[in-house]
Amino acid sequence: MTDALSHLPALTRRRFLAGTGMAGTAAFLAACGTSGTSSDPGPSAGPSGDPVATGPLQFANWDAYIDLTEVGEGEYDLPSPTLDEFSAEYGVEVEYANAQIEDNESFMATIRPQLQSGVETGWDIIVLTDWMAAKVVAAGWAQAIDPAHTATAAANIRDELKGLPWDPDMTYHYPWQSGATGIGYNSVSTGRELTKVADLFDPAFAGKVTLLTESRDTFPLVHLALQGMGQASDTPAEEMTLADAEAVHAYLSTFVENDHIRAFTGNEYLQDFGSGDTWAAVVWSGDLASSAGPDDVFVFPEEGSMIWTDNMLIPKGAANKYTAELMIDWVYDVTRAARLANFIYYISPVKGVDEAIKELDPEAGDNPLLFPPADIVAKQHAQPNWSEEDEAAINELFADLTGV
Amino acid sequence: MTRRRWLLPYLLMAPGLLWLALFFVLPNIQMVLMSLSTGTIGTGFEFDWAFSNYVEAITRFPDNVANSLVFGGLATLLCFLIGYPLAYGIAFRGGKYKTLLLFLVIAPFFTSFLIRTISWRIILGDQGAFLGLIRDTLGLVPLNFSIIGTPLAVVSGLTYQFLPFMVLPLYVAIEKVDVRLIEAARDLYAGPWRRGGAIVGGIGGGLLAVGLMLGLRYATLDVEGIVALLTAGAFGAVVGGLIGSFLISEAFVRIIWPLSLPGVFAGSILVFIPTLGDYVNVELLGNPKTQMIGNVIQNRFLQQNDYPLAAALSFILMAAILVAIFLYARVLGTEELTGGRA
Repeated sequence: MTDALSHLPALTRRRFLAGTGMAGTAAFLAACGTSGTSSDPGPSAGPSGDPVATGPLQFANWDAYIDLTEVGEGEYDLPSPTLDEFSAEYGVEVEYANAQIEDNESFMATIRPQLQSGVETGWDIIVLTDWMAAKVVAAGWAQAIDPAHTATAAANIRDELKGLPWDPDMTYHYPWQSGATGIGYNSVSTGRELTKVADLFDPAFAGKVTLLTESRDTFPLVHLALQGMGQASDTPAEEMTLADAEAVHAYLSTFVENDHIRAFTGNEYLQDFGSGDTWAAVVWSGDLASSAGPDDVFVFPEEGSMIWTDNMLIPKGAANKYTAELMIDWVYDVTRAARLANFIYYISPVKGVDEAIKELDPEAGDNPLLFPPADIVAKQHAQPNWSEEDEAAINELFADLTGV
Repeated sequence: MTRRRWLLPYLLMAPGLLWLALFFVLPNIQMVLMSLSTGTIGTGFEFDWAFSNYVEAITRFPDNVANSLVFGGLATLLCFLIGYPLAYGIAFRGGKYKTLLLFLVIAPFFTSFLIRTISWRIILGDQGAFLGLIRDTLGLVPLNFSIIGTPLAVVSGLTYQFLPFMVLPLYVAIEKVDVRLIEAARDLYAGPWRRGGAIVGGIGGGLLAVGLMLGLRYATLDVEGIVALLTAGAFGAVVGGLIGSFLISEAFVRIIWPLSLPGVFAGSILVFIPTLGDYVNVELLGNPKTQMIGNVIQNRFLQQNDYPLAAALSFILMAAILVAIFLYARVLGTEELTGGRA
């Protein structure tokens, strides 16, 4: 049962609109990655010593994070052209588990026991946010990526993404996309423009507001809001302390108690925007633009926003390590990266995408979701890095808010 | 030859016992060991008779336990109220369609549990068909009335998910009732049961209405709430009384009901136990204030990595259910009921 829920598909609006019934079931099965292809790990090196691509490549990712094929007017669904072309090029199947990851903690919970006991997790590529990726690398659960197989990636990665303390030489990770955490709203339902995090707590939206299950997004963002209202310490969001988190907890408790906040969600907010149950929420930057309706808008809040990077890692025991490295290299090709960015509206880790994307869409270069302007960047904060004790205490505060 | 015959039952039982040992006994031992351990996911867990986990498990989550008992109890009650007439109808009026009707009862199981719960989000959603009917078309509820994220949504979901578990045992019990007994009762002047039905139906209906208002948190115990409770209670009593006096016959009270009690027993256990531990319905249909004990266990395991507390909670839940079933069986013991007292 616990496992079942982690497979919960977050059907995006496009797929939701594409049809219920069989279509929905099919999307669900696709999301679960249940196709029964048996995987034969095989040797990763041929007799001559040259590595051989093996498959199927098991790729776990978040929802609304890959380009899709147009299946009808304005409707999109898997398979992804980028992945399909990879399959054609190397003759291996890619089993892309869309929406397999809905938040870092609960996904890790499904693979941590395997990693601890040193058995296969079943995944060749997983995508984790910085703080969790750092933990996985520190625990020795990520495999070193062979630089000989990832020359494109090494050449094309944006300089500011290199040299992170937890993996300075890109030994274990390559970024998938970066993004911001801000607020999203449906302009028709709310009937007005939202510009601040504080706007989420407008009594007019009672019961129609959701926040994120990632405490590293929700807590600092509300901390910023409290700072804006003059109700919090001056500690920058990236350094917010347990005491700051307690203040946020106290503030949010009232809104949980009076039912203003309906739920804490992962990418599922996409469904809730689709069904009209959510009017305003804390969301990740690209999702609404790529997978929700035309009235669903993302804004970088006036108080500031969170910035983070999700990273590709090859977990210990991966059956198709070489293929995984090929895939990492594949998505770092500038043209492909531009196409991907133009579809999912997140910040590409690849140099030169700003130029390449203009060929796909001349206006994309001005899209603040893809290329945040300087005034927004100035107000962006990294996710806080809490000590283990603080993290445990803050998780307890968060659990109390979510009612468990 | 004789020796072999002595061995045979054990050989036949071996696969089952092995299965239970591997997938029930061993995991439970592991769970008990974990529930008495301390440590964190980073440093590893160590067994050291930490009974404090149990103290924490019992004292820390009273709201979630209450939610589980209330929502599970209401869902069981509703399953019974919906399931009994359904099973009765299929058993006595189903005729040649019996098999088809039973098939329809289990048909939802051909769809994934999750898909069905997700569908409820759509049906009960703010723009969904149900609210469209009662809010927009009939105007029964205010415009800002929501169902998703309320106890009503959770109990509806639970009732729907576990209804077949109630209907099937009830059907089996009712189906077995010998029609000749009913005919005999009628011959012996078992007619309508107007007064008794009105009393039983009235009391039951009133209590149910009050229980639903309180359990689904549409009323609290202040002045306004008590007025609402009294109104709802009176309404429930009238409706229940009418249904009771017109639909319950003496033959039913004296023959069918006692003979179907084992089905009621089995059905309510089969519904109540899984609803107690369920967390998917709350996850998808509830809000932070409707979280049940299953959600706490899930959160402890998957979000907080607090395995010892999660294991202690799981063990307590399991033990509590076993004790409750034992007591229930002693009180409503199936043996004497089937033993032909009726």
